Amino acid sequence: MTFHRLAAGGLIDRNKPLSFSFDGKTLTGYEGDSLASALLGNGQVLAGRSFKYHRPRGILTAGAAEPNALMTIGRAGRTEPNTRATMQELYEGLEAKSQNRWPSLDVDIGAVNGLLAPFLGAGFYYKTFMWPAVLWERLYEPFIRRAAGLGRATYDADPDTYDKCWAHCDLLIVGAGGTGLAAALTAGRAGARVIILDEHARAGGGLLCERATIGGWSAASFVSNCLAELASLPNVEVLTRTTAFGWYDGNVFGAVERVQKHVHEPDPSRPVERLWRIIAKQALLASGAEEQPLIFGGNDVPGVMMASAMRSYLNRYGVAPGSNVAIFTTNDSGYSLAGDLEDAGVTIAAIIDSRKDGPTAAYCGNARVVQGGVVSNAHGRKSLSSITVLKDGRSEDLRVNSLAMSGGFSPVIHLACHRGGKPMWSDTHAAFLAPQDLNGLALAGAANAVHGIQACLDAGAKAATDLIARLGIAAKQASFGVVEGDIIVRPARPLWKIPGVKGKAFIDFQNDVHRDDLNLALREGYGHIEHAKRYTTNGMATDQGKLSNVNAIGLVAEASGVSPADVGTTTFRPFYTPVSFGSLTGPSHGKHFQPVRKSPLHDWAKRNGAVLVESGLWYRSAWFPRPGEKDWRESVDREVKNVRINAGLCDVSTLGKIEVTGVDAAEFFNRIYCNSFLKLPVGKARYGLMLREDGHIYDDGTTSRLGESRYFMTTTTAMAAGVMNHLEFCAQTLWPELDVRLASVTDQWAQMTIAGPKARTILQTILDEDISNEAFPYLAAKEISLCGGQLQGRLFRISFSGELAYELAVPAGYGGSVADALMQAGKAHGIQPYGVEALSVLRIEKGHVTHNEINGTVVPADLGIARMVSANKADFIGKKMLLREGLDDPDRLLLVGVMPLRSTDSFRSGAHILAKDATATLENDEGHVTSTCYSPHIGSTIGLALVKRGAYRHGEDILVWNGIRDEYTPGRLCDPVFFDSANTKLHG
Amino acid sequence: MVDFRLSPQAALEGKRPVVRNSFILEALPEGHVVQVLANPCDGNICAFIASLANGAQFAVRAAAPGQWFIVGDNALSHAQMQALCASIPSHADAIDQSHGRVRISARGSAVRRVLAKGTAVDLSPDAFAVGHATTTLITHVAAHVSRTGENAFEIMVLRGFAESLWDDLDHMSRDCV
Repeated sequence: MTFHRLAAGGLIDRNKPLSFSFDGKTLTGYEGDSLASALLGNGQVLAGRSFKYHRPRGILTAGAAEPNALMTIGRAGRTEPNTRATMQELYEGLEAKSQNRWPSLDVDIGAVNGLLAPFLGAGFYYKTFMWPAVLWERLYEPFIRRAAGLGRATYDADPDTYDKCWAHCDLLIVGAGGTGLAAALTAGRAGARVIILDEHARAGGGLLCERATIGGWSAASFVSNCLAELASLPNVEVLTRTTAFGWYDGNVFGAVERVQKHVHEPDPSRPVERLWRIIAKQALLASGAEEQPLIFGGNDVPGVMMASAMRSYLNRYGVAPGSNVAIFTTNDSGYSLAGDLEDAGVTIAAIIDSRKDGPTAAYCGNARVVQGGVVSNAHGRKSLSSITVLKDGRSEDLRVNSLAMSGGFSPVIHLACHRGGKPMWSDTHAAFLAPQDLNGLALAGAANAVHGIQACLDAGAKAATDLIARLGIAAKQASFGVVEGDIIVRPARPLWKIPGVKGKAFIDFQNDVHRDDLNLALREGYGHIEHAKRYTTNGMATDQGKLSNVNAIGLVAEASGVSPADVGTTTFRPFYTPVSFGSLTGPSHGKHFQPVRKSPLHDWAKRNGAVLVESGLWYRSAWFPRPGEKDWRESVDREVKNVRINAGLCDVSTLGKIEVTGVDAAEFFNRIYCNSFLKLPVGKARYGLMLREDGHIYDDGTTSRLGESRYFMTTTTAMAAGVMNHLEFCAQTLWPELDVRLASVTDQWAQMTIAGPKARTILQTILDEDISNEAFPYLAAKEISLCGGQLQGRLFRISFSGELAYELAVPAGYGGSVADALMQAGKAHGIQPYGVEALSVLRIEKGHVTHNEINGTVVPADLGIARMVSANKADFIGKKMLLREGLDDPDRLLLVGVMPLRSTDSFRSGAHILAKDATATLENDEGHVTSTCYSPHIGSTIGLALVKRGAYRHGEDILVWNGIRDEYTPGRLCDPVFFDSANTKLHG
Repeated sequence: MVDFRLSPQAALEGKRPVVRNSFILEALPEGHVVQVLANPCDGNICAFIASLANGAQFAVRAAAPGQWFIVGDNALSHAQMQALCASIPSHADAIDQSHGRVRISARGSAVRRVLAKGTAVDLSPDAFAVGHATTTLITHVAAHVSRTGENAFEIMVLRGFAESLWDDLDHMSRDCV
């Protein structure tokens, strides 16, 4: 008889049977079962196929470290590959499928890989698939990926939702076993804000598998009592089904709560998973310890299981491991299992104890104990049939159908090492322990190498008392009465290398890494544990070596004749266990993928038919198509021509706007900009050029003086936030002595450009004051009344298009209404809205630069505006570094215009400039095109470019080369101002 | 001059209150928001702000060292705004942000749980009492959050992001059923 459900016992609800399927076969379990316990209860020992050799594998553990029983759960968009059957709660209708097999779990063609094992050792793909190189991506990689692997992700959309949230507490407790519960009660009773979480569906940890009594209560009842009290404390939150996956700076912990992964049809109003970011003043890691496997031949045959897991299935789930069981142990853990099995009526063929002196605790059972023996090999294919016991050079075969193994316990210290700390080997505990002096995080219980229920309860309570005392909260350590039947598994000497091994002795079950692989790595020079990991893949994949790392380190140490302390560990990093992309994404998908920033003229633009384009987070009007226009170019050409002939209205609300006040504001601007600002009169605007400390241009814009100590600054849309931060930095840290105050007013104002020969006429219609050229000349700026005093706005006579132009700013809520008024007022004058495409054409025609040209590499001289740099100012940001010799190199890339020789030709931004007859190589590259457009006034494509000595090469024929598209366009360098170079229209 | 009637449009125009079990989301009237900037060590301005906060006419929200928002549901005329600005002591400045900032009310017994989905700020009453305010991120949007009652918060956001944040808050509260 193999694994089977006992008639009674366990914490499952036998009155609530649940129907589920495995590989299409309908089975029955009970509420409270995990998928793994339900499968075992149905006698389903074969659970999967291994990664590389497709070896039959059974369930090895009862928890998060499970390397074998990885299954695909659900269907369509809810398909979840690589689900650990040991962690998956059973629910009605659950559909599970085994992975990495074809055509079936029972008959898997891939198992032929086992015959090829001699060629598939560690690093085989580094050696084997070397040539020809052309097959690397076409054949080798697809072949390896197909032959090896885990489950397959679905391409269907996930129908469920995910959430993220933050939480704060005085004390976070990771792990709700005995240690964690004792800590939570201690801190909770003292009034501290406590969050206690546990990765399992039920809190209680190892207590749920115990037969001991605590204060007269069964361990399970004790857990229930603790939880009931914690639920009554408003300052305590208990989160089950929640895995803490990472510890980050600031004592922030990441955790994932599986909110609805245990139901067939999730409630659509709730997330299926919730990602917690928990900010803890103090934290306690009470994560227990992981039992380690033993490395003997055939240790992966289905039926071989960790001893603590077998005990868990027996006591918690009422599943017995067959009729004839052997236990192979290095410590007393095996004896507690033996006692429980015997009480359940299971025959124990033998307890094989590697220690010559036998158990340290009294064992009163009937099983034969083989002291100083080892299991050298396990036999069977899809299920265990026998084992070979080796003692004193003599071997003996025992017929068994289950084997429990225990190689000692390794504290689960993963989280404690996420911030750079390295585990430390302890000979006393025969285990790696967490680093000392973790700021804000302590460990207690089995995670701190404490053994036994009583000791763990005491340790948890004491740790909580100490931790919250640091916060000024006094607590009394909780006590829970006498523990009867406490089993204290004292550390035992580790057993790394077992003699007499004949078959494959697996170290890493999930990656099919066996002892010979590690030996090969050592022989080939990969002795450093980090190298050995990469060469063999030991410790990789979804379980990240929870069961394999310590054994691998021990074997390397033994082979090298050093201590595990000298070998050290590989690096622990988040995540502790796999985290779904869904939970990391949270609600940020679809409509909520990223914020949308809308201009105050957004609705106005839509009413006027705008095609909108994303510009950072902003949505800007790209163009305004009209009926009959065949493509965007036709619309843009019309808008450009209309601005030059009549007038256009363009939304420029997205420009950064900063209000600067204070008596030293003028001096502040004088230091921020490279050109002079000290004497800017009230009522005037000025173009400003801002450099970085290294002398390169940072941003440009206009600044207007609206009052003696009040300025209105505009920045480019892209750099608005950066400039604001820069100004704050300068004001607060560089020049705190200046009386300057800054406020971002980008969103306060709807700002629109009215440009074109008829702009003044149209604008005057809605303004209450004279804006004639005499009253309001070029670069004038003032606050102004609109529509008979209905509104106060700000008017600036500045131009990006080269036309007579104004920028009108009005309180944002009135933006649409004012734009409507302007469109109505301008209707008779031919006003049309125009978008950023036309805006771009207009500025390229005038040779005005944007961040296409101000690309972080240019200085003012590169753009032909060296004259703007003040020679008289004592200092400004960038002044000193601008004098570096490399920045006046005559071969620098300088701004120049570029046109195709044939008007029907065109070229694109990013294309490179070559000398006329040069071959197309990067060595011959002389610069690149930064901006291009079709100019309806020139009648061809025009462009701006940064070209070696470009400013001195006007009239030179060149070749525009687009290497990506393999395009070659004969062109000519020219003046970058293509239109109205005398600026006659600007001053009209 | 042509006779144009200018009328404002609220950033959250058309957004009906979201009323769920234990949570209500509501756009507040676009009244006035005045940002006051001063030297944080200036005793005069601190006394002035305290006098405003104690009165019934204006509500004051702390924004940063030396910075406050004076807020209210009623829109101020140009003259009223000028009068308010003129009342502010010298060495301090007032910036009209009435159109640049949009205020949203979030309240109900579930409000902390909903907001905790978006902000890393500890909103427990011990850490964030009534009257406290701070600037934080809610999801990916910067917002100024003030506690106005035991289970009531005022969220102030840049106008351009108001609709996006509203949609996020609506989405964040979907499980209040």
